[in-house]
Amino acid sequence: MHFKKFIQWGEGLLWLLNPLLIILAIFNDSTKINLGLAWLGKFHPLLLHFPIVLGIGIVIYLVFFAHQRLAANLEKSLFVGNALLATLVALFGLFLSKQDAYDKTIVDLHKWGGVAIAFISWGFVYIGEIKINWKKGLGVVYLLVLLIFTHKGAQLTHGEDVLSLPHPAPAVAQEENKIDSNITVYEKAIAPILEQKCVSCHGTEKIKGNLQLNTPELIIKGGKNGNLLTGINNQEALLLQRIHLPNTDEKHMPPDGKLQLTLEELNLLSKWVKAGGDFKKKLNELANTDTLSLLANAYKAPKKGEDNNKNNSPDLKQYNTSYCTVYYSYFGSEEVFVDFFQGSFYKSESLKKLAPIKDKVASLNMQGMPLTKEDVAMISSFSNLRKLNVNYSKLTLNELAPLKSLLKLKNISICGIDLNPTTLASFIENAPFTLVHIWNNKTNEKEYAALMASNKKTKIIIGDNLDNEILKITNPVIEQDSSIIVNHLDVTLKHFMKGAIIRYTIDGSIPDSINSPIYNKKFQLTKSGTLKTKAFKPGWLSSDVIEKTFYKSEIHPDSIYFVTQPDKKYAGKGAKTLVDYELGEQNFSGGKWLAYKDSNMVFITSFVQPKQLNHANFNAFIDMGAYIFPIISIKIEGSNDGKSFKYLNEAKFPSLEKTNMFRGNKSFDCSFPANKAFKYYRFTLQNVKKLPVWHPGKGTPGWIFVDELFLD
Amino acid sequence: MNEFLEHGLNQNRRKFLSKLSLGIGGLALGSLMVPGIFDASNEEELFTNVLPHFAPKAKRVIYLFQNGAPSQLDLFDYKPLLQKMQGSDLPASIRMGQRLTGMTANQTKLPLAGTKFNFTQHGSHGAWFSETLPHIASMADDLCIVKTMYTEAINHDPALTFFQTGSQVGNRPSMGSWISYGLGSENKNLPAFCVLLSKGKGNGQGVYSKLWNNGFLDSIHQGVQFSSGEEPVKYLTDPEFIKRTDKRVMLDEIAALNQASYDKIGDPEIVTKIQQYELAYRMQMAVPEITSLQNEPESIVKMYGPECLIPGTYAANCLLARKLSENGVRFVQLYHQGWDTHGNLPKEIEGQCRDVDQSSAALIKDLKQRGLLDETLVIWGGEFGRTNYCQGALTKDNYGRDHHPKCFTIWMAGGGVKPGVHGETDDFGYNINSLPVHVHDFQATVMHLMGIDHERFTFKHQGRRYRLTDVAGKVVNEIIS
Repeated sequence: MHFKKFIQWGEGLLWLLNPLLIILAIFNDSTKINLGLAWLGKFHPLLLHFPIVLGIGIVIYLVFFAHQRLAANLEKSLFVGNALLATLVALFGLFLSKQDAYDKTIVDLHKWGGVAIAFISWGFVYIGEIKINWKKGLGVVYLLVLLIFTHKGAQLTHGEDVLSLPHPAPAVAQEENKIDSNITVYEKAIAPILEQKCVSCHGTEKIKGNLQLNTPELIIKGGKNGNLLTGINNQEALLLQRIHLPNTDEKHMPPDGKLQLTLEELNLLSKWVKAGGDFKKKLNELANTDTLSLLANAYKAPKKGEDNNKNNSPDLKQYNTSYCTVYYSYFGSEEVFVDFFQGSFYKSESLKKLAPIKDKVASLNMQGMPLTKEDVAMISSFSNLRKLNVNYSKLTLNELAPLKSLLKLKNISICGIDLNPTTLASFIENAPFTLVHIWNNKTNEKEYAALMASNKKTKIIIGDNLDNEILKITNPVIEQDSSIIVNHLDVTLKHFMKGAIIRYTIDGSIPDSINSPIYNKKFQLTKSGTLKTKAFKPGWLSSDVIEKTFYKSEIHPDSIYFVTQPDKKYAGKGAKTLVDYELGEQNFSGGKWLAYKDSNMVFITSFVQPKQLNHANFNAFIDMGAYIFPIISIKIEGSNDGKSFKYLNEAKFPSLEKTNMFRGNKSFDCSFPANKAFKYYRFTLQNVKKLPVWHPGKGTPGWIFVDELFLD
Repeated sequence: MNEFLEHGLNQNRRKFLSKLSLGIGGLALGSLMVPGIFDASNEEELFTNVLPHFAPKAKRVIYLFQNGAPSQLDLFDYKPLLQKMQGSDLPASIRMGQRLTGMTANQTKLPLAGTKFNFTQHGSHGAWFSETLPHIASMADDLCIVKTMYTEAINHDPALTFFQTGSQVGNRPSMGSWISYGLGSENKNLPAFCVLLSKGKGNGQGVYSKLWNNGFLDSIHQGVQFSSGEEPVKYLTDPEFIKRTDKRVMLDEIAALNQASYDKIGDPEIVTKIQQYELAYRMQMAVPEITSLQNEPESIVKMYGPECLIPGTYAANCLLARKLSENGVRFVQLYHQGWDTHGNLPKEIEGQCRDVDQSSAALIKDLKQRGLLDETLVIWGGEFGRTNYCQGALTKDNYGRDHHPKCFTIWMAGGGVKPGVHGETDDFGYNINSLPVHVHDFQATVMHLMGIDHERFTFKHQGRRYRLTDVAGKVVNEIIS
């Protein structure tokens, strides 16, 4: 092949492979590779020596033979070849790193070092005619990168001390062919654990942290952080420290993602190290009751490749239904919590289904479930149950008695279940319970005082019972937002308590518990008046009197004319607002109010024929916090020509005190002198001109909000 | 050298561009080998699959938020010195240049105002309570009172948002949303996070749905606000003539359509929508049974106070909170408005206490007697405290207090907290003397009680990992039993 062809193809390949390399390097963690690529990965250790040798050659060429250039095409071919090799090696390295777990920090360093080498090699292809000193510098940098990061790779496969002085070869572990009774604790229980969970990284193949755990001698030797089995300054031994760190800790062993130690294995390792970490101690030298001996005897070494963690934590999905939640108390826990919800959907099958995990259930909540005797029998087989809630389960204490066989059951709730001190006493007698919740409608503390005093082992929570306390019943509610009667108005009364009796009057008298009519269905109001209502219930004090005044709008002026205009923001629907039978809302910017601040509210009503009137009633809104104050006074003047008005009457209203920060609707009334009829009436409603000193807006005028005028 | 050869060896723009196409090919090839490289990241599963990180002390939370900031000096933090120094100016050595709100920053004098209420000690830890809270005081031995909370915000909205989401600026998930995201719903027929609102007569501050927002989390984790009317969840009853089986068919068809559009567009909110329809369908059966207060025995009604039967009251919400919680709702969030006592404090606070005292205490008693308190964490508190000096004119029996972020009191009960009194403020009730608890510390502690390591519980959004406690927060081990 001609150099030229080689260079062309080579350059093309470099342009293709280097971006690929960078993508794969960045997303290395989430890359998925197939078998073919995995196989290519195996070529990394084979190929890697070529670009190292070639690279060192190039550095020598650049630094020492800067003035004796090779032929241009030969030089470039050399660079392209080197770059291709470096890139391929880096790529294969990435594939290889996916197949086996290596020390992540070293892998990362090696990875990016490899990428750097590939890219610098690629850069050499294009350095062309740059200054000789630059070339020399680049050569030196390249050499350094090459040496440092390829060394990282060597550490991965040959251990971190790959280039330190050789140490004597370890003695070969002896074959375990001893008689069972003569076996050492180490051989029986410790070595298999280390073999399964540790040696893959701390063994002969990989020697992470310069630590090997495959023979007693090597274990005693320890790793780069020193001795494993003895603690320094009263600290726990290094081995125990590492295996007990939380999973997230970087130093936790085995590392996150690797097969973890089971609780049993943790226990065994701890006990063994604390007992001195003796490799010679034989199993039969230990007392039969010794914890270590018990643990070691019970320990069954897993078969190779078997994951003994998984077997212990079965998936719980199959046990869950819409009304039954089954879950591990926390991630990695062996304990299962079970909650049932909504008794009307309860099915015994959900409980029966739990049979395979019955020894794992530690907490069971069956509040409100309609349980049967069979269910209780089932629950009684949950041997590790610690907490049980069978409140309102429609069972009797006798039917619950089988639960006493659950030796670990300490906390039980049986609220809503019929009982008395005698039945309870026999229920908790010889029972494992230390806490019993028994509250129901009828329990009271006095009855149980003797039982509680005599029974110290079990704490009985009785709870409050206020059945005999006499309280005041809440007020009835008048369900009618409008207070204007056009022809008639339907009124509904309401009380939220079952069995409450509502009585009412419309003649102004206070409803009493004997004579006033009882409300039972909605009724109609046909004339102005005040509705008063009150609630009663046996065993309760009667409520406050709730009243509401209704107005019948009987007289409508033929037209209304504003002398002063309302504020633009609160102009409602103009003059019509006053007689539209619609009361404004608490949200005073809702467009149903007329508001004045800078002037009094002045308007004229007119009738075609002179009309005699008795009362004028204004509905106003007050919210002192929002600067909306009560009307100060209402003045009425009359006229027949619409020009010269004659004073008729003025009503003045007390201003409210600070302590009465009222918010809501209020009606203001002014009466007309008798026997005088006019065509025109002028109304002047005065607002507060200066807010009082205690108000945040002291000195500025107050608002008045008016929405309806009733005349009769 | 041959000029043609040299030309061939040189790099020029044309060559660069033509080779670049190969480079793009390389990138494309690489992206094929990384499945899901352009998908939304699924790595969050790694974070939620390991929850709870450790054994939880509490399964559920009921948060009784006292919105508007109750005055700690008139309820829990007894400072006789203020009564002695009534009317004298707040010493500069105590204030230490503290930033005040616009409401009192311009006051020429900051007269100290002692509480008008009598305080007595209750329970085995000798905790102080004012006479306005007799029922809560009677539960003193169950309460873990934290007197040394402090926060960073001095106004309601940022302070509330900070408490609920860990950030003063909005758009982060609320505490309940985080818990819903991390632990999911216990009862699949109810939302994991429910919100109940009520309002007292005192000076109120608004609450907004952003406080129970899911932020960047999936919107299935948003707090479900129950209506304060008679029907807590609206439109749950099917129209007449629509059978439940028909509804099922309809939902299945809609779900198929939604799934098809999800496959096409890939917006995760579509999946949420399917889930929400399903939840609503299941809620139709569950909610009426659970939210009906009518069948509660009279003894319970009397314990919470008769108002508990009137929908929308704080007492009703407390009772409802118990019912939701015992039915497996992870996080029930109440807000009671009206604690913003800038003026007229004695009268307003009495009213607020009447609203909340009996029913808050009843909730604890009720959970306790049912054997549920040990697995339910109840939290009671506002967004900050109130000043030891008076806002506005100080008279013999009337005063107001401004916002005070530097110390305030909250209490917790049940769910793995240790009853007692935590921390101490100075004699002026202005600064913290010992054991301060920052809002983030509080949040970290609540998370811890739920079995979550707040530092490992994160969500990646717009290139950054977020957590409830931002970059701070230490679990307050002293208050954990």
